[in-house]
Amino acid sequence: MDVVKSNPSPRKRFFRRGIIILAILALAPLLQLSASVLVAPTAVFLSDADRTGRMTIQNPTDKPKEVSIFFSFGLPESDSLGNVQVLLQDSGVTDTRSAVDWLKAFPRKMVLAPGATQVVRFVARPPKDLPDGEYWARIVVRSQESQTSLPSQAGDDKITTKLNMIIQTAIILKYRTGNLVAKLDVVDTQVVSLDSAVNIFVNMENRGNVSYVGILQGRLLDAKNREISTERINLAVYHSLIRRLHLPFAEGNFQKPYHVEIFITNEGRKDLDPQNMIVGNKILLTMAAD
Amino acid sequence: MQPSSRMKLLTLCLSAAVFLAWVSVPVTVQSQEVAVGQATATVLAALVVTSIQDLNFGDILQGVPSSADIDVVAEAADFSVVGSGGSEVALYLQLPEYLWNTTNTDRMQIAFASTDCDIDANVGTAATKVAPVTVDPYNLPATTLHAVSNILHVYLAGSVYPAVDQAVGAYSADIVLTAAYTGN
Repeated sequence: MDVVKSNPSPRKRFFRRGIIILAILALAPLLQLSASVLVAPTAVFLSDADRTGRMTIQNPTDKPKEVSIFFSFGLPESDSLGNVQVLLQDSGVTDTRSAVDWLKAFPRKMVLAPGATQVVRFVARPPKDLPDGEYWARIVVRSQESQTSLPSQAGDDKITTKLNMIIQTAIILKYRTGNLVAKLDVVDTQVVSLDSAVNIFVNMENRGNVSYVGILQGRLLDAKNREISTERINLAVYHSLIRRLHLPFAEGNFQKPYHVEIFITNEGRKDLDPQNMIVGNKILLTMAAD
Repeated sequence: MQPSSRMKLLTLCLSAAVFLAWVSVPVTVQSQEVAVGQATATVLAALVVTSIQDLNFGDILQGVPSSADIDVVAEAADFSVVGSGGSEVALYLQLPEYLWNTTNTDRMQIAFASTDCDIDANVGTAATKVAPVTVDPYNLPATTLHAVSNILHVYLAGSVYPAVDQAVGAYSADIVLTAAYTGN
């Protein structure tokens, strides 16, 4: 299938981002109440051409916050049912695509006054002769109250408790070098028909040297290709991943036999800057659903 | 100037104006260099994780276990995650086994049952959940942010078990919530 570079119009991107910003601003009064940290952007990209990056951290609350920055490793991983988790690994990382050991952040610790903002800069010092491709780490922003006050006892025989709520935001950092290839392969699919829906388990392998970031869309169609239901989820495959699509049956004059169409593409991600997308292959699969 | 360049300039200016209007609520003095950085970063989308309410057991008596109710605003812990609507967020809670007193000479057991956590991808409070899903706090599922309100809440309850000879005083421990986008 031909590859077409995704490039939504600047006007659409402008309004989309504006909606997200306004939604966050609308919730700003809520954020004034207690511990919180705002981190932007939600992905940082470095490369051999530009080994430095930056991130903005803001304290939108009315209390000072103690913030520390460190690097960890954690990729989206799935179980056999397609449930995804990101487990952070602080040490003993053996993945050859880990960038944790050669990244630095400045500053690494800070106290943010109420409403204050801090820019954190990153620099990559990769080893020589690094093979082409993408290398990953998680920037972990850890935030807590800078002054923790224990509750006072209500009486001589009383016991009081204080649970300190600490927040960690883990942002992906990608370092890119050399020739970059985004290529995905579907190695297995399973269709499980239930009384009210069809579940499709899509097992994918990354065959490129960068993470495959895109969209997985499933459509349940009848014999005349009329759409019964559809589901569309974001996709980020670093090594391998299983995702589940849930396609319910719907009332209507649909004719059996039903079938399922699966479509995977780099295009259409509304939450990422197109400049950072590595365009890859598309996949279209069709299978029986009965 | 090309249309795309004008749009970029308009985007940057509007974002800077909106952001400066926001940060001006708490009055702070910031340098121009930092202000420009804020505008550029914020327009790329942000992730905001907030601890709205602490887990609160109130006053505890020796030998009398106490539980926080997950449906009571003043008792259940309430975390919110705000970001790009429709995006999936992986969540992980690090929970303590004990609370320690201020002198680190006595500890009190704290426990979290497999039904002590609710996730609700809607605007609400512990008392006004819209569509909560009860989950094991030691194994939180990745959850999609509400497509319109761009939010999800994590509510947490728990129980403490003071011994009959538990030293009186104030006890504390840390609860850590980690949030990460799965799809980028």
